[in-house]
Amino acid sequence: MKRAPLVLTGTVLGLAGVLTFRSTPATLALGGLSGATGTTTTVAGASPPTTSTTTASSQPTTTVAGATTTIASSAARSATGPVVNYYYGTVSITVSATGTKITSVKIATLNDGGNPRSQYIDQQSLPMLVQQVLAAQGSQIQGVSGATYTSEGFYNSLLVALKSLGLK
Amino acid sequence: MGTVVTIDLYRAAGVDPDEVLAPLRAALAVLHRADRIFSTYHYESPVSRLRRGEIALGEAPPEVTEVLAACRVARELSGGLFDPWAMPGGVDPTGYVKGWAAHRALDELRGTDLDGVMVNAAGDIAAFGGPYPDQGFRVGVVRPDSPMELACVVDLASAVATSGTYERGEHLVNPRTGAAATAVASATVTGPDLGLADALATALAVGGGEVLARVDALEGYEGFTIGHDGERHATARFPFAHSVAAGA
Repeated sequence: MKRAPLVLTGTVLGLAGVLTFRSTPATLALGGLSGATGTTTTVAGASPPTTSTTTASSQPTTTVAGATTTIASSAARSATGPVVNYYYGTVSITVSATGTKITSVKIATLNDGGNPRSQYIDQQSLPMLVQQVLAAQGSQIQGVSGATYTSEGFYNSLLVALKSLGLK
Repeated sequence: MGTVVTIDLYRAAGVDPDEVLAPLRAALAVLHRADRIFSTYHYESPVSRLRRGEIALGEAPPEVTEVLAACRVARELSGGLFDPWAMPGGVDPTGYVKGWAAHRALDELRGTDLDGVMVNAAGDIAAFGGPYPDQGFRVGVVRPDSPMELACVVDLASAVATSGTYERGEHLVNPRTGAAATAVASATVTGPDLGLADALATALAVGGGEVLARVDALEGYEGFTIGHDGERHATARFPFAHSVAAGA
């Protein structure tokens, strides 16, 4: 039975969070073909450092948008999510898939302002996020523990790309 | 806190957004409140003001007293290798607060009709239940030398925290020597409480074998380390996942 995932977008502390509901548990980014229905809800909330003149105090607002899954084709295909803000700059993610299997997750664009600390994240943490996606798919795990600095921007761009491939 | 937190909700019968929205908001409120109180990035946070000596502990929110008391226990249990009072600039409980806040956020989602909930604060994870009614969560631990691969998979009963040399910007300092050095490349601690697991993982990364023995002696907590040379050590009951559930 095919189910339409309900997507809620909310703003938390001025940063976008994406809530995705599906119907039975799924490991990260598993495809949604007939019979395989997954329910997973993720909320990303982050508080980046603020200067002394900034306070984060926005109220959460929610809008509801409906979306339907498309049947994933067996051909190889890829999609790139939107450019989104992450901790140090902007990033967009390209996802490639064959059938329901993610074959690669790559950084399409990355602008980190040349900040040396952000380069550490680019070289260490973003690859780890890629690894999380791939590992979660193959090892039947639901999460990864490790000193990863998960990037909300990475997930936001990734999720949009996965949705357009019919994988979320 | 500068930490991205993800919350995953699982229910085989489907998740009703209306049913979970209020507890989810409550969980997020816990995280935001913790950030407002404890963030050393916020100049005016109570902890920042405490560090500058502008306020006394009694003038700060009660959570600060609670957290610092827990940090004292963690310092004791870790043999002083987790020590928020040894940080430059004043007491810094950040190494405990991340896990503490994530676990308190998780608690807001109990009492809902969910099969499992997982709160992941940048790799420190607190959870109850599992992806299915009869299955617990499985969590991979990344290899410090090869972040695209997993070192092992863990059966997650409640909390798991990992600390290591590949940690984002958080310089692990040995409180005894003041040196920025770790005995091992990666240290993982599992146990009932994520705040304590978080603190112990930090101490384990810094202190290695000495702290692993301490974790071993602590009821309910287990540890696993990967050395700079790749050598692995684990407490006897560390919850390595041994089987893959068919069809899961």
